[in-house]
Amino acid sequence: MASYTKAAQQWATFARAWYLLDAKMQPPGKIAAVTVRRLEGRHKPIYHALNDCGDHVVIINTRHIAFSGNKWEQKVYSSHTGYPGGFKQVTATQLHLKDPTAIVKLTVYRMLPKNLLRRTLMQRLHLFPEDVIPEDIEKNLLQEIPQPRVVPRRLDEYTPEEIAAFPRVWTPSKYCPSSLNVRLNKQGWRAWMI
Amino acid sequence: MVLLSVPLWLRSRLTDRFWRVQEVLKYARHFRGRKNRCYKLAVRNVRRAFVKSTQARRQKKRFLRALWITRIEAASLEHGLKYSAFISNLFKTQVELNRKMIADLAIYEPKTFKSLAALAQRRRQEGFLAALGDGKEPEGIFSRIVHHY
Repeated sequence: MASYTKAAQQWATFARAWYLLDAKMQPPGKIAAVTVRRLEGRHKPIYHALNDCGDHVVIINTRHIAFSGNKWEQKVYSSHTGYPGGFKQVTATQLHLKDPTAIVKLTVYRMLPKNLLRRTLMQRLHLFPEDVIPEDIEKNLLQEIPQPRVVPRRLDEYTPEEIAAFPRVWTPSKYCPSSLNVRLNKQGWRAWMI
Repeated sequence: MVLLSVPLWLRSRLTDRFWRVQEVLKYARHFRGRKNRCYKLAVRNVRRAFVKSTQARRQKKRFLRALWITRIEAASLEHGLKYSAFISNLFKTQVELNRKMIADLAIYEPKTFKSLAALAQRRRQEGFLAALGDGKEPEGIFSRIVHHY
């Protein structure tokens, strides 16, 4: 029977844990969704907004995040310096080149709840562009969070035996040697009417 | 003949104004600013406080239910189940625990919660088999419904 007085004392219940997350080839939005959940403490059954039960999250390889689609060219990060004529708009590529941790930092900041705890939780987020982590942080790490996106293998990562063993869908004939000359529409399939 | 002029000179004046004011101010003592001292400001704010507390009695039920749901979701994801799957399959197995009790179990009785999650998972698999299977396999054990009437 659940009782607040007779429950066994679990001393480490409210301890703050340190999690590691590898952002290599991951979309920054999904990375941020997972981190925000851990920073708030929503992954714990003892969650309460006033409990301050969030954990630390260390994100490595932020230089190697992967936006889907054409977002590297199309996504725009805007800011204003406060002075007249100070409206700045930067594409994701330019921002990433200037500061490799900025994209993930902004994504996490904007996904956190918009209250006074946001700045405190941002202080518990640690971003590193590469694999290199300072020793004192590395000593604190407890567990690695699984990556949100399953990274597909490139063609050159497959062995020739696996390529040969893969079933062939169609064999090229001399009248249709390859699909290079066929016009593809936006969705990527052959459009006979175009 | 009764002389009424003398008694009429005695006006009846309010003697317990202090206690009438204290009745209101005692509810305002923890407020911020002058409204914890000055009667005119305190009257308005005490009335607002009472109105808010009346409304909050209904909102508290909503807030607590949302909190229980968040906690159950966290605990069931630790066991690999989403909240919707967990609750719906627990309902289908006729386990009539409300969200408050499940949240308390998740915090104080983790092994009991683990067995509840396993039960929900098993019922979920039986549901899939019943929907997708041929119908030749026997019906699931945990899908049986007990009628109490």
